Amino acid sequence: MLGRAVVLAVLFALVFELTCRVEDLIRYGTPMFSPYTSQSDLIMRDANGARGRPNARFQKWVLNAVGTRGPEIARQKPAGTLRVVTAGASETFGLYESTDREYPRQLEDSVRASLIRGACRETFHNVEVVNAALPGMSLPTVVLDLQHRIATLAPDYVVYYPTPPQYLDEEAPGSTPAARATSPEPQATRALYPRSAARLRSQAKTLLPEFIQTALRRREVDRVVKDRPDGWRFTRVPEERLEMFDRDLRRVVGAIRATGAAPVLATNTNAFLGSQPASADMLYAWERFYPRATGEVILAFDASARAVIRDVARDSVTALADIEPAVRGPSAFADFSHFTDSGAGAVAGVMARTIVAEAERTGCVTGSRQPVPTTAQVLRP
Amino acid sequence: MLFNSFIFLFAFLPVTYVVFWTLRSTRARYVWLTITGYVFYGYWNPKFCLLMAFSTLVSYTAGLGLAKWTDPRRRKLCLVVPIVVDLALLAFFKYANFAVDTTRQVIHFLGADVTLPHLNIILPVGISFYTFHTITYIVDSYRGVIRPTRNLFEFSTYVSLFSQLVAGPIVRFRQIEEDLENIGTADRTRWIRVGVSFFIVGLVEKVVVADSLAAFVDPALARYTELSTLGTWLAMLGYSFQLYFDFSGYSTMAVGLGYLFGIRIPQNFNSPYKSLDPSDFWRRWHISLSSCLRDYLYIPLGGNRGGELKMYRNLMITMLIGGLWHGAAWTFVVWGAYHGMLLVLYRLVARQWDALPVVTRQLAMFLLAVIGWVFFRATDFGMAATLLRQMFWPTTGLNVAEPLLAAGMLSMAAWWAMVGPNAFDMRHEWSWRRGLALTAAAAACLAIIAGSRPSPFLYFQF
Repeated sequence: MLGRAVVLAVLFALVFELTCRVEDLIRYGTPMFSPYTSQSDLIMRDANGARGRPNARFQKWVLNAVGTRGPEIARQKPAGTLRVVTAGASETFGLYESTDREYPRQLEDSVRASLIRGACRETFHNVEVVNAALPGMSLPTVVLDLQHRIATLAPDYVVYYPTPPQYLDEEAPGSTPAARATSPEPQATRALYPRSAARLRSQAKTLLPEFIQTALRRREVDRVVKDRPDGWRFTRVPEERLEMFDRDLRRVVGAIRATGAAPVLATNTNAFLGSQPASADMLYAWERFYPRATGEVILAFDASARAVIRDVARDSVTALADIEPAVRGPSAFADFSHFTDSGAGAVAGVMARTIVAEAERTGCVTGSRQPVPTTAQVLRP
Repeated sequence: MLFNSFIFLFAFLPVTYVVFWTLRSTRARYVWLTITGYVFYGYWNPKFCLLMAFSTLVSYTAGLGLAKWTDPRRRKLCLVVPIVVDLALLAFFKYANFAVDTTRQVIHFLGADVTLPHLNIILPVGISFYTFHTITYIVDSYRGVIRPTRNLFEFSTYVSLFSQLVAGPIVRFRQIEEDLENIGTADRTRWIRVGVSFFIVGLVEKVVVADSLAAFVDPALARYTELSTLGTWLAMLGYSFQLYFDFSGYSTMAVGLGYLFGIRIPQNFNSPYKSLDPSDFWRRWHISLSSCLRDYLYIPLGGNRGGELKMYRNLMITMLIGGLWHGAAWTFVVWGAYHGMLLVLYRLVARQWDALPVVTRQLAMFLLAVIGWVFFRATDFGMAATLLRQMFWPTTGLNVAEPLLAAGMLSMAAWWAMVGPNAFDMRHEWSWRRGLALTAAAAACLAIIAGSRPSPFLYFQF
């Protein structure tokens, strides 16, 4: 009896693991023995900071030979192609959207559809959107990426979607320290790491009712706060952090222009805006990522940063894709700030209109061929 | 809560099962099943538990009246009041906006300009199903087919039994009355293996077959205007099998869950794509609904009595209402009318049709069903017309992602639906080999469920 139970248990475990691998192969094209076992395996560090690991893939997240999410691209931009690079963090990289429904992919379809029908159809025969974002990427890291990698792709436009709450972290974001050596490829033996573990872990979370999950999040935040000195927690918008965000954003605009591309800034949005804001439970979920700030401060900082983005766009004569008023409501968000398929579609729609209008406004001349303020002019004294 | 979710499989079901079998008395088990039914239902939206409780109380009280009174007028009152209440609730929640929209269109068609508001009504999950449960109970009590129960918890267990609550089968009280009355002495070990076996087979139908088909059908139909003839056929064939395995999978899981609690729930699908003619199809597809429509609508309308014309009229009325039951849209009405016409036409040419070879009849009936599903799936007549034009007006190309994979899945589904055994054809006694197969199937299903968000059952929308 015991022997049979053991056989059944082993069979169950083997079939479970095999199904995970076969399903990954069918759904995402992931090899049966891929060494990449988590999202963090997609990121590598070298002397130029953090970037996507070329040809890495984990579940639906597939990086190309350049190390950006999406289809393969030629490093040398083909003639007649409008190349748009999207930079940012997880909102841009795409977390919850179905495969190829993250906003950069939908942006490609939208720009292609309207640009090729519009005034620039003679200039551009094709549109490529390169998703250069990575989860957790901060503004200083984007600057490094622009200088070392994105510039080589000769983009016409670089769209930046910000994640201001990063500035409420323990320390304000700095550029990723250069690694002495390129991070090595994951060991081949990791191909044997059970993929069933990741699936079970994510499902285990759903077993807990929302109120228990909220209680656990609150406890986690309380534990972090308890060990810190008085005044450590932000109970109002920290002005110095907002200034840092302003400064770094202006640097990004300058760095984009230095690549020869035209910048497009997007305003940030979240699930707590509009007539049907997300629940207080969702705000606790966000707070858990930034325990140094209360939920109210996160929301206030996000709103203040939006004003900064508008200021920077105006000062630097940069096109602004005003996402915030256009993308609201529960159907647009999978959590506090990440998009659903339809949310990503709405973001792509606003960005596409901005890019196409910009291209047509400049007579289909893109990037550094336009007269623009210098980096020094963009940066505040 | 979905049967194919981890919260159901690893929290709700084990707790419900263990507590149920720990309780000894009939009354305690009724109460427990009622509570769990409301928890299961309330997990979606607790507010609508009140609606179900109200409907339950009205029908239970009417049942008491029917048990007590012999006076025909009082009995009629006990029949009419709960049916009117149930149908009024159904009409309000399911058909109010349909009526408003239709009225607006008619007024607009007549040239007038009247603004009618779109009502902000949420359709309670499963209302079409539990309304039928209570109505069949009242009608059967009135007819004397069953003896109305005096036990409120027995009745509430029948209405809120979680296994059949939100997507059927539409189980009549008389079908499970014996098991409900013996629930206090039910033998746990007698049915557990059969229950587990049915449940896993249903899980495979839903998770492995229906959801795999959905992976190419849903994106294809989301861009249906871009499909070629071949692409449209692939999408509609895929949808036909997806719908069948989705609903049949749910029903099979419901049967398995019923067994786990000592309640035998009847078969709801008997390989409908093996049917040889329209009558045969409706004896095999959603059996619990079609038999309800037959017993509570078609026969009271006169059924086969009163000549051929009246029979055809009764068939059309029954199928039109059957179509409307599925959804508040004219496309469902047309789908019902289409099947009504098929039934009438079959009666007219039955002798010639039945002379055709079996394979020809099966394939022809299947294709007729697929054409009907166009109206069932279409969100409006524009979509239905486009799909039909693309199916029958040849255009080149394919326009379906991963066509080989889609064809492979379609072939597997076609074999199982049109040739292979359904859950009730299979043996459910456990052997060592069967235990291995069920373990492997369960592991595969759970791995797939763990890799994605559980997909809702298509019939939840009805």
